[in-house]
Amino acid sequence: MQGSTRKVGAMTDVHRRFLQLLMTHGVLEEWEVRRLQNHCYKVHDRNATVDKLEDFINNINSVLESLYIEIKKGITEDDGRPIYALVNLSTTSVSKMATDFAENELDLFRKALELIVDSETGFASSTNILNLVDQLKGKKMRKKEAEQVLQKFVQSKWLIEKEGEFTLHGRAILEMEQFIRETYPDAVKICNICHGLLIQGQSCETCGIRMHLPCVAKYFQSTSEPRCPHCNDFWPHDIPEVFDPEKEREAGISKSSRKSLRTRQH
Amino acid sequence: MPRAHKNKGQKSKGRSRAKHHQAHGDSQGAQLSVVGQSASPPSVQGSDLGAASSDARAVDENPRAFQAETYNQPICKDALTKKASMLVEFLLEKFQKSEEFTDEDMLKVVNKKYKTQFSDILRKSSSRMEMIFGMRLKKINPNSQSYAIVSKLGLSTDEILSGRRGLAKMGLLMTILGLIFTKGNRATEEDVWKFLGVLGVYAGKKHLIFGEPRKLITKDLVEQNYLEIHKMSEGKSTKYEFLWGDRSHVETSKMKVLEVWARINDTVPSFFPTPYEEALKDQMERAQQGSPAMGCPAAMARVHPMCMCCSSSHK
Repeated sequence: MQGSTRKVGAMTDVHRRFLQLLMTHGVLEEWEVRRLQNHCYKVHDRNATVDKLEDFINNINSVLESLYIEIKKGITEDDGRPIYALVNLSTTSVSKMATDFAENELDLFRKALELIVDSETGFASSTNILNLVDQLKGKKMRKKEAEQVLQKFVQSKWLIEKEGEFTLHGRAILEMEQFIRETYPDAVKICNICHGLLIQGQSCETCGIRMHLPCVAKYFQSTSEPRCPHCNDFWPHDIPEVFDPEKEREAGISKSSRKSLRTRQH
Repeated sequence: MPRAHKNKGQKSKGRSRAKHHQAHGDSQGAQLSVVGQSASPPSVQGSDLGAASSDARAVDENPRAFQAETYNQPICKDALTKKASMLVEFLLEKFQKSEEFTDEDMLKVVNKKYKTQFSDILRKSSSRMEMIFGMRLKKINPNSQSYAIVSKLGLSTDEILSGRRGLAKMGLLMTILGLIFTKGNRATEEDVWKFLGVLGVYAGKKHLIFGEPRKLITKDLVEQNYLEIHKMSEGKSTKYEFLWGDRSHVETSKMKVLEVWARINDTVPSFFPTPYEEALKDQMERAQQGSPAMGCPAAMARVHPMCMCCSSSHK
């Protein structure tokens, strides 16, 4: 199908389709973004060579610049996976969520967000969040209801839950970094390596600087004796592995083949 | 000494692009930027002057706001462009949420102060939506002045379904529309539940993807104008009938829906002669009116036979 591939600057229907689908998915991991890019080429321009992803995205971003929107790339804080989302750079609130949730639900999120940002570990316990239920704006919410709302946040990838505690999903950090920095300028923590917003990470016990887990992984990758980049004291924590998309894919394949073996054994 | 890791999340060109935050969302910011301008488009010359004088007042009354603006002032050409950007932001949200809106809603975003320039601003925004995003502003209901933002690219059900959040509902909607269409453009509630039962979707039974189906079908999709519901009889056993809503007529087409329906039934549209004829006629009428995005067979050809029904029947 030839269709209309009218060009505006560098924008073609390939880019437009990509944007539309990225928007409908909210946030995507890098492999999903590559797959989406390939799909869009297949639909509109089978014969064209697929642009390198970084160039493809930079292309689109240069067009989006005038709208204060960009396709932003981030890294999940726990395991360093690259993620992408279409982000509004002028966001001054949790407006991205505003159409999905009621007033009291949004307020619950804000309360949880504040606890998370203030916390030492980047996690806020379910109990502490639920204790604030009485202070919410809008319709009165019971604790039981609030528990379900928190689960809604987890399902729509705004929060992550680990053993009854909540922290921000990579998506929330990607989309709300600006807002968080502006709203909690004193409580906000910054990574010493990438200077990005830090919610979860490791900290030096001597001088207090902090680093994201993926940043720690990369920084100390080939060091036998990890030392704090700031005060040079011994770095006391476990050094995580650098995220390797190749290993990830292999793990995925072996997992699924193990699964099929299991079913065959019935 | 190991090299400091540069987070790829940051723009390689550094933060010097100064695209940080705009003025804190309100009109003050836009007007303040007008004050600083040397050039403004001739079409809004008069109103610009009006705006400029009130800006001076705004600055005096709120000096801190002025300071906040100049600190991180983004570069913008003129107030009209900036307002158009704000409207684009609003329209994109509406696209993501599949929500309709009115002229009133849009005016609120842009600020009622700009009422006279509103049609210019809307035109600018619409043009950007088309050029950059391949989307179009579509009037849904001529009586209630409601609009929706629709893709011009003919997104297939498969593409929509592969999205993880909420758009699975669209797949279910498509199948219900198919049922309604092939039953002569109206289906009883009984028909609908019988059909959905085959897909493993039951009233009152919370579904993993759709939530509670009765609420979705009789309330949510009706409120969003995708379905219309008519009361057939009063009394003890009130019966309802489902029809296509205004929005469904706009956002999809009889042919598109018939194609999905045919796939569900492992056949082709022409297998259903009466609806097929109706769909062809509808297609011709649309072609004459000039709606290129609708009923585009090539796009639909990419619809997976998987569709919604297969995945949900495994539940």
